[in-house]
Amino acid sequence: MIQFLHVGKAFPGGRSALEDVCFHLERGEFAFLSGASGAGKTTLLKLIYREIEPNSGQILVNGRNVASIPRAKVPFLRRTIGVVFQNFRLISRKTVLENVSYLPRILGMSQQERKRLAYNTLRRVGLAHRMSAFPSELSGGEQQRVTIARALINRPEILIADEPTGNLDPELSWEILRLFLEINGKGTTVLLATHEHSYVQALGGRSLVLDRGRLVKDEYVEGHVGDIESDSAEKAKDRRRTSTERTA
Amino acid sequence: MLVRVLGYFLSEAAVSLRRSWKVSLVAIVTIAMSLFIGGTFLLLTANLSRVVENWRGEARIVIYLAADGLAKEDSLALLLASEPPWVTAVEEVSAAEARSRFETTFPSVRELFKDWEEEPLPPSLEVAFDTQGVEAERLDQWLTALRSDPSVLMVDDDRDWLQQLEALIAILTALGAVVGLALLTAAVFTIASVIRLTAYLYRDEIEVMRLVGATELFIRGPFYVEGTFQGLLGGVLAVAGLFVGYLLLNPKASTTFLGNVLVDRFLSPGALISILLFGSLAGLLGAVLSLRREELGQ
Repeated sequence: MIQFLHVGKAFPGGRSALEDVCFHLERGEFAFLSGASGAGKTTLLKLIYREIEPNSGQILVNGRNVASIPRAKVPFLRRTIGVVFQNFRLISRKTVLENVSYLPRILGMSQQERKRLAYNTLRRVGLAHRMSAFPSELSGGEQQRVTIARALINRPEILIADEPTGNLDPELSWEILRLFLEINGKGTTVLLATHEHSYVQALGGRSLVLDRGRLVKDEYVEGHVGDIESDSAEKAKDRRRTSTERTA
Repeated sequence: MLVRVLGYFLSEAAVSLRRSWKVSLVAIVTIAMSLFIGGTFLLLTANLSRVVENWRGEARIVIYLAADGLAKEDSLALLLASEPPWVTAVEEVSAAEARSRFETTFPSVRELFKDWEEEPLPPSLEVAFDTQGVEAERLDQWLTALRSDPSVLMVDDDRDWLQQLEALIAILTALGAVVGLALLTAAVFTIASVIRLTAYLYRDEIEVMRLVGATELFIRGPFYVEGTFQGLLGGVLAVAGLFVGYLLLNPKASTTFLGNVLVDRFLSPGALISILLFGSLAGLLGAVLSLRREELGQ
């Protein structure tokens, strides 16, 4: 689903953000991307949805070489990838419904279709009752769930999240992580960047560790917290284990 | 699909106009002023051209004679009798009639001639003509022959001052075009600055739009519509201003020569549509220029 082949990225001034990164994420897999601040996590994610381009190597998303996609076609790539940001990036002047239904609007859906789709997606993240609220009226956890709903609305095959719990307290963070596991349980490939290695150790699964731009670990970690309650999360856990074994 | 997209552009542009109405107002007023000034020149030259056209139809060649009455054998009579194709009518105006006409036209100075023993004005022949299809050279030769005739004091050709008026109209038109275009250029740059400022206000939103998969047209569309809208509103304001000016000045049109010449009629529907179209295009151009230069943070 996502394949990095000897990818390198340096920024102007010569600072190297990624060096010779190689990994392959299977369809339906859930992987943590961890590392200290400045390790290159955000850079790696940005390369997937082509916010930036690599200096060397190749990135394949769904079999397509991302760097070779013409600039005008990049929006179509992005419509297949759901992105969740640490700082939510919601449009403050628009309601939850309008924020979530932005992509359907781009796709030319009617207002009725958009509303129905947004309602269903918001219900999935437990926020259907806050459709008319503005982002400023929501808690941090709610805002992050709106961001996840926005990322999910077009049923993307890939969901990538950049420090989605970075601005949340521990209780809300677990709630959001549970949501990602549920999403993965329904077949979406999830790549979640975090500097909190404790989540990886607690939940287990595929763990990619970056250190100063180099992929220093790519392993399966056994979780040790029986915190995940829902059936779908259990299924996701099984799926992760199976796919990691398959990759290995 | 297209209707929905256009609906989205329009609603976003309206929201943006409402949100940053103060800067938008600056752009609208700037474009309105430039179009108003350009429109004023258009109004003046259109009225002037119409008057000149009317005068052209009534233009005459006036031959002032040394004495009343022409004998058939006079060379001038022979010249006129040759019936050149451009002469459509000849009217004799005696010295007495010339004075009578003068007194009717300028009643306040009629007393001037009260004690004169001789007629103050010479008799004349008023020649109506139609120059269409006639070589200017032949006509000039004919006029030269008239001027050299011993019985002729002077030949007054209306075409001379009509040509001068036409030159004046051409100068006014050119001046209007230059001033209007210069002001319109300034207005385009004002709109460009306003759109750039709006795009800057929306930069976070634009980034989100881009990340969720919006195409460049979808991102820029509302700004293009906003610029066009600002230009159109400026055009509407300019037309309204011109109409108010016309309504204020037009009552004087029938009483004064200048009023009659300059504000007798309002602009034609075609000219009004042109003003609105110019405003809209200037707004669109401003938006396109601003987003090209800024590349919206890309």
